[in-house]
Amino acid sequence: MLTRRNLLKRSAISGVTLLAFETCYASPQIPPAPDGMGHHFEFLTPEDRGILSKLIPVILAESLPSSSKKHEQAIKEVIVGWDIAVSGLPILTQQELRKLFSVLDSNLIFSLTPRLLTGVPGAWEDPTEIEDFLNNWRNSNPESIITGNELRVGYMGMVELTMASWYGNPRSWDFCGYGGPPVLSGT
Amino acid sequence: MSDAKNTITDFVAEGFQNGWKHIDASQLDEDQTLETDVVIIGSGAGGGNSAEILAQAGLNVMIVEEGPLQTSSDFHMKEDEAYPNLYQESAGRQTKDRGIKIFQGRMVGGGTGINWTTSFRTPSSTLKFWAEEMSVQGFSEEEMRPWFELVEKRYNIQDWTDTPNANNSVLETGCTKLGIRWGKIRRNVAGCLNLGYCGTGCPVNAKQSTLVTTIPGALKKGATLISKARAETFEIKKGKIDKLHCRSMTPRGNAPGRQSIKIKARHYVLAAGGIGSPAVLLRSENKTLNPYGLVGKRTFLHPVNISGAIMPFRVNGEYGAPQTSYSDHYIETRLDNQRAGFKLECPPLQPMLTATSLEGHGKSHAEIMKQRPFLQVLIALQRDGFHHDSIGGQVFLKSDGTPGLDYQVSGYVWEGIRDAFLVMAEIQFAAGAKVVAPAHRDARLYHSLKEVKKTIAALDMEILKARLFSAHVMGGCPIGENPVKSVVNSMGRHHEVENLSVFDGSVFPTSIAANPMVSIFGTSAKFATELAKGLAA
Ligand SMILES: Cc1cc2nc3c(=O)[nH]c(=O)nc-3n(C[C@H](O)[C@H](O)[C@H](O)COP(=O)(O)OP(=O)(O)OC[C@H]3O[C@@H](n4cnc5c(N)ncnc54)[C@H](O)[C@@H]3O)c2cc1C
Ligand code: SF4
Repeated sequence: MLTRRNLLKRSAISGVTLLAFETCYASPQIPPAPDGMGHHFEFLTPEDRGILSKLIPVILAESLPSSSKKHEQAIKEVIVGWDIAVSGLPILTQQELRKLFSVLDSNLIFSLTPRLLTGVPGAWEDPTEIEDFLNNWRNSNPESIITGNELRVGYMGMVELTMASWYGNPRSWDFCGYGGPPVLSGT
Repeated sequence: MSDAKNTITDFVAEGFQNGWKHIDASQLDEDQTLETDVVIIGSGAGGGNSAEILAQAGLNVMIVEEGPLQTSSDFHMKEDEAYPNLYQESAGRQTKDRGIKIFQGRMVGGGTGINWTTSFRTPSSTLKFWAEEMSVQGFSEEEMRPWFELVEKRYNIQDWTDTPNANNSVLETGCTKLGIRWGKIRRNVAGCLNLGYCGTGCPVNAKQSTLVTTIPGALKKGATLISKARAETFEIKKGKIDKLHCRSMTPRGNAPGRQSIKIKARHYVLAAGGIGSPAVLLRSENKTLNPYGLVGKRTFLHPVNISGAIMPFRVNGEYGAPQTSYSDHYIETRLDNQRAGFKLECPPLQPMLTATSLEGHGKSHAEIMKQRPFLQVLIALQRDGFHHDSIGGQVFLKSDGTPGLDYQVSGYVWEGIRDAFLVMAEIQFAAGAKVVAPAHRDARLYHSLKEVKKTIAALDMEILKARLFSAHVMGGCPIGENPVKSVVNSMGRHHEVENLSVFDGSVFPTSIAANPMVSIFGTSAKFATELAKGLAA
């Protein structure tokens, strides 16, 4: 699994990268968390939610409603869906996801997260930058000596939880032409 | 949308209201010590089926199940409810290297509660291989026939004569056009309304899962069901199991709870399924249970790859009986094992399962989801375990004692997967597909067979690039007469520990090369009947 320590261990092989990282490192800007709609969050921290609010529209693209009010509402609901889904996962899986987020949302100035190595966006503002980051992780070489398959696995985890949360939500069903479960009369 | 009449009552819930014995372990506030004749671990195909046979023989039976007790009125055909409640690890279990996603049931009824009702007997070529190569006795086609006939009656397995949904008819049309042999699938249903939601739990008790058949059968005979309790270890004394240690689960079911439950029995039946059964043996850390280190090895998955197609007509693969048509052409023509064989089928296409199985994100993903009503999907199930380069995976324990599976896809199986991508695309185009998309990181949408053929020939056959799945976990505690090469004998009895049996999908020495439920029903009926005789005597 993707952890800072693993990344560091691997990147130690390449001292140059690490040096580059140390000199260029800048504190990332974590976007503010959107309103939680009264949901009691068990797993996602405000930082996680801030980042998800920027990732989700890139992952879901035009499957989200276009009117800005509905768009925003959908993102909030996908975040709540994420939290519910993750809270039901085995504790070990939750710990792995926590490590993934620690790479995404580390904002400690002296954190050793090799941000450059993983290509995590600094500001989470520019959708093109986020898209590049996702594609980097998606297309990363699973045999890389530095990151192993961890970027690809991290990518798949983020995308899958987002897809599950959105397409399990009736608000997405119009877009994908789903009429919902059949209606059983007499129950 | 179909507007079905539901006159069927939730007779399972009523049974519990009227006195069937059930302990929800997540609600216990004290440790328990219990005693019985036979304790069965797991309530799926093997566990549920054995429970009825043993209870009918007059034995006192206890069933320990990790998952929840839910019944038809809890099944709302909603994916966001069903996957976390009824599936192992919220339907997110994966192999160690994340290369294969594994679906398994985790509920009273196990896999039969959420499976797709496809009912095949064990192929004769598989039985023959076991007899010839794996020192298995008593599994010839003739010897197995009465057991299959018995369980086919018990689970109402019959030809399915309704019109297939469009997802399945594409398989039929494409195969017919190409001269590939195909057939109709038999199903274990009674009064099926053709809803298509077998994977989220049948809301009208049409599916003849163990939840609505043999588990009630056992409960009527006085058996006790303990749900939300995980069997952890066997305690061994003087070469025999002295007791089973279990732990309650939390109400949500994703973590161990506070209470310990000890069960002392005359006999212990392990039926926690592939991965699950080997895990109990491995956790027990006792040499007698695993003298040759075979436990959990040779775990097979029928690795599945998928091909999507956009058809010129509406498919709506979320509705209608999910699996009704298949082709064994590439099993039957490849029995010489020169190239890996595979079975072709269709999956149900509810939106969450579809969206999470498709590759990619953003615009390209959204475009396919937008055309989802026109989406057709074929799946190919690889016949693993019959070739020296197809040895399956190994169950291991994680830091918290829960099991995982280390499964390396061999070069031999990868070539079968590549062949299957091609065959599926050919069938889809022959049936009129506008575009075909193999589920692979480096593949896109292709408008012609020529184009897709060229791509498939060059695709890297690697994990995390090709999307792989499995809903069939088999092996890990194989049957056989040679104690150095198998964990239990041909009657499912442990070679070393006399009061232990394994009655589930983990006993198969190879994959089945067909959907495994009926194989598990048939073998466990045979095993349990024999065990009942032994215990009564
Ligand atoms: C989505 C899906 C669709 C499928 N479709 C088909 C189909 O159409 N046809 C077909 O033939 N097969 C199908 N299968 C496969 C089939 O359902 C399984 O092969 C079969 O149910 C396995 O039977 P089993 O007895 O080995 O284990 P299971 O049925 O998996 O039962 C094992 C039970 O043990 C429980 N358990 C595990 N560990 C413990 C423990 N430590 N303590 C207590 N309980 C434990 C589990 O929660 C589970 O309920 C499908 C499977 C899935 C997941
Ligand atoms: S298709 Fe499946 S879920 Fe629907 S009624 Fe038939 S058995 Fe039940």
